[in-house]
Amino acid sequence: MRNAGAPTQADFHEAISKRSDRWFAACLKITRSPELAEDAVQDALLSAWDKRHQFGHSARLETWIHRIAVNAALQLLRKNRPGVFEPLDVDVADDSTTPEGARSIEELGGEFSAAAARLSEIERVCFVLKHLEQWRLQEIAEELNVKVDTVKQAIFRGVRKLRVSMVDLRSQDYA
Amino acid sequence: MHDEQLILYYYDDGLSDREKQQIEAALKDDVDLAARYERLRRRLAEFNESEVPPAPAHVVQRWHDSIDRVARMESNRLSKPGNPFSFMSFFWGAAITAALAIGIGIGVYLSGDSTVIPVLNETVADTESYREASIPAAFTRSLQVHLRDSQSEIARLPLDSDADRAHLMMEIIEQNRLFERAAERKNSPNFARVLRAFEPILVRLAAEDIAPEDVEALRAQLAFELNVMLTKLAREASEEPHTI
Repeated sequence: MRNAGAPTQADFHEAISKRSDRWFAACLKITRSPELAEDAVQDALLSAWDKRHQFGHSARLETWIHRIAVNAALQLLRKNRPGVFEPLDVDVADDSTTPEGARSIEELGGEFSAAAARLSEIERVCFVLKHLEQWRLQEIAEELNVKVDTVKQAIFRGVRKLRVSMVDLRSQDYA
Repeated sequence: MHDEQLILYYYDDGLSDREKQQIEAALKDDVDLAARYERLRRRLAEFNESEVPPAPAHVVQRWHDSIDRVARMESNRLSKPGNPFSFMSFFWGAAITAALAIGIGIGVYLSGDSTVIPVLNETVADTESYREASIPAAFTRSLQVHLRDSQSEIARLPLDSDADRAHLMMEIIEQNRLFERAAERKNSPNFARVLRAFEPILVRLAAEDIAPEDVEALRAQLAFELNVMLTKLAREASEEPHTI
């Protein structure tokens, strides 16, 4: 950051140029919808601009916006699919995406996103927040309004399914 | 030992100090367990952020534009005279400005000169024409309905509850985005651009920590911008050649 005051318009442009791919990727992994991911980043940018005077400089602007974007993605997911984070006793894969949508997500998201299609929403979101975003279990539980044990179980199941899915995907590639 | 414990150990989260020590000791003593943990660690590492798909270029451009737009809006708002601030004078000032602007706007439209359009700031109403050759009339009609609905909802905007106002604005933002995407799909960048220009105002109005005088000013601005857009749409629709 060039100065210790609130980030400027130029700072925001620089952050978008440098890191918006990563914000988009994180939001895409959470929402599995390019449109929701796009909206989440847009919401995050406008919200960050609005609150830029609260930016503490303890983190980098890009990191700050990244966190706001992830929160925005979770909010949009919750709004678009109410009850999405309620834990399920049965093992349900994410069937929310149309075949056409799934293809575009795979093209955008690569191998992980293809494998993640076999996870339920809560498993995928908990895994992404824990593994890729490195949130604490407690933070995830609070954000999703579920118990820490539910988060743990979702992560365990997510990891188990991903290990199998990645092996399957690779064997298909080699077949 | 279960994989679950090894997963928590890998993440260094969710285990007590005692549990961690027990796992560490077991990993030292048990070669098979250590090998199993190593396989798990390698597999989990494979899921790290190895792939960052680029966001589409036009979307990145839109994010840049939204910052420019919101910055311009803020700068216009701050550059308006009126300090020292007085709520009542600000409120009546905004209302009178909006009324005058609408009156002048209607006069300009009636005179047929569409190149001089008075605006509170250059956000929405700075587009001379939204008409695009390929845009179907049905789309224009549904857009008019959406804008009229938004107009009446904004006129009834609850001022005593921040949460209700935020909720209503988020609904309008969502609808607006649907129309924006539909406009893009119908190859109508002008419509999409104008709809996008509403968003910073709507988002600002959705903020729960906004001052009442700012709500009034933004509501007046939005009412004006919606009115301009509806007037233009109506005029352009009436100029369309009628076919049977």
